[in-house]
Amino acid sequence: MLRLAGRTIIWLFTAVNVLLLYWLIAASFKTPLEIFRDPFGLPHTWFQRGQPFRNFLYAWNQAEFGHAFLITVVLTALASVTIVLVSAPTAYALSRLGVRGSGPLTSFIAIGMGVPIQTVIIPLFVGMAQLKMTNSLVGLFLLYVAVSLPFTIFLLTGFFRTLPEELEEAAALDGASPLRTFVRITLPLAKGGMITALILNAIGLWNEALLAIVFIQDTSGFTLARALFTLYGAATYQSEYGGLIAGVAIVVIPMLVLYIVLARRIISGLTLGAGK
Amino acid sequence: MAQTVQERAVTRGRALPVTGTPHLARKRRLFWPFVLPAIVLYVLFLVGPAIVTVALSFTRWSGAGTPRFAGLEEYRQMLGSESFGYAFANTLMYIAVGGIGTFLFAFLFAMVLRDMKASKLIRAILFFPNIVAPVAIGMFFGFVFRYNPSKQGLANFLLNLVGAPAAKFLQPESVVWVVIGALIWASAGFYITILMAAIDRIPPYLYEDADLCGATPWQKFRHITLPMIWDVVGIAGVLWTIGAVKIFEMVFVLAGPGTYLPPNKTWTLAIYVYDRSFGTQGTPEYGVACATAVVMIVLVTFLVLTLRWVMRRERLEY
Repeated sequence: MLRLAGRTIIWLFTAVNVLLLYWLIAASFKTPLEIFRDPFGLPHTWFQRGQPFRNFLYAWNQAEFGHAFLITVVLTALASVTIVLVSAPTAYALSRLGVRGSGPLTSFIAIGMGVPIQTVIIPLFVGMAQLKMTNSLVGLFLLYVAVSLPFTIFLLTGFFRTLPEELEEAAALDGASPLRTFVRITLPLAKGGMITALILNAIGLWNEALLAIVFIQDTSGFTLARALFTLYGAATYQSEYGGLIAGVAIVVIPMLVLYIVLARRIISGLTLGAGK
Repeated sequence: MAQTVQERAVTRGRALPVTGTPHLARKRRLFWPFVLPAIVLYVLFLVGPAIVTVALSFTRWSGAGTPRFAGLEEYRQMLGSESFGYAFANTLMYIAVGGIGTFLFAFLFAMVLRDMKASKLIRAILFFPNIVAPVAIGMFFGFVFRYNPSKQGLANFLLNLVGAPAAKFLQPESVVWVVIGALIWASAGFYITILMAAIDRIPPYLYEDADLCGATPWQKFRHITLPMIWDVVGIAGVLWTIGAVKIFEMVFVLAGPGTYLPPNKTWTLAIYVYDRSFGTQGTPEYGVACATAVVMIVLVTFLVLTLRWVMRRERLEY
């Protein structure tokens, strides 16, 4: 009896989640009238008029959303790759070389995961302004790389620890230099962990808004999350509710696609640290 | 295992001869070149600025000219500000009420999901909001809870459908509850997954024994599940606290128009810091903002240490 009630609640809650996602995607194709009068129905007005993507076009052209989309794709990709390239050697050195002080140094870096960005943002802003790096995508790139390091290094040290040592030793016996062994043997073995780190960082940076709000003022440098704030104001003012929801959908759908393909990797990566 | 032994041997005495040492010694020369780039970035962008923030909290500065030493004056000003009071109280609300709500929810789900067939699918669906931008979630709920007699949001549409009067969910007095609800909804999947992963590691014979003795689901939860996953619950609590202290975007777009700040009754500490430093009105007060940032660090540290102390106990062996 109790179990049945529990299961019913869980199925209901799950169904509500699916319904909300349906509502979001359906509404992004609707006219305001359809959104408010018939929230659960299928969209038809824009389809009948032969412009099904009308809302997406509105959002794409507002607040330079389309431009922001391209910026975000490039920035997210470059920053995520750089983060992993900087973190992987560090994580390897901290977890596999057995150097005195590695443990405390790892903890010192891990503390960075608990520091809210707000507590460092003022000195960062002042410092970056002096270097003329505010309102600059290069500056934002640097910030993204730096603030993502603690989590990534923490994640990767965990992966490197699980790798077998025998292959490295065999390579050393064959006369391979330590650097060569790292590049040719260890890195390929750690590929899975590095891809997970890459994906998790890409997700985090795709959704990042605070640094983008503080550091980028010109519309021409807006990232998607930043542009969404502006679209929100503009679309509400013009009663363009379909366009507004299409804007939200443009931010959400790429994550949804990624999630459908990689759900298991994303879930296990994000919850990894907590299980140990 | 072999690695940890070797590691220990190496850390104790520097050049202790262990098998493969010449190679290990050569490998260790990689240490600094490998570690340095990350350490430099970490110190320049996080450690250094954190120290500067503490220093700036004892000064008065508007961004122009040089900061003047002001002792505890900025802290006094911060404590005297009505907005700070709201921000502090709201942040505590999100941490405590949101945290308790999320954990109750996660526990309930974990208990029932343990022996459900579609458990993986349900977990995957509930986890999804975790990878959606908080801004997008905020706007989405802003739309769901919209109040406008001719253009009601989804929530009021349903209320009207069952004949109940529409409610102004997003008023400063009630928006805190909407944000708490949205937080619980968005984070539940993450904590369910963490707890379930720990539950999956519990040896099944414990439950089989309990079943033979005719234990109720509650007894099984109280005497098997909870003790066995206690450590993970503690870690999850720490993660929640760290996440909840910096709530910003969700409140920003749910309680306000999105382009400028919402009314101060709805603020969190993160929004207060933003307002004093980068808010659009008036001159920046970096001293007050940094003092608030220090309060955030102290609050996280205090809560995390307290939580670890409350959750401490002897290790269970099984």
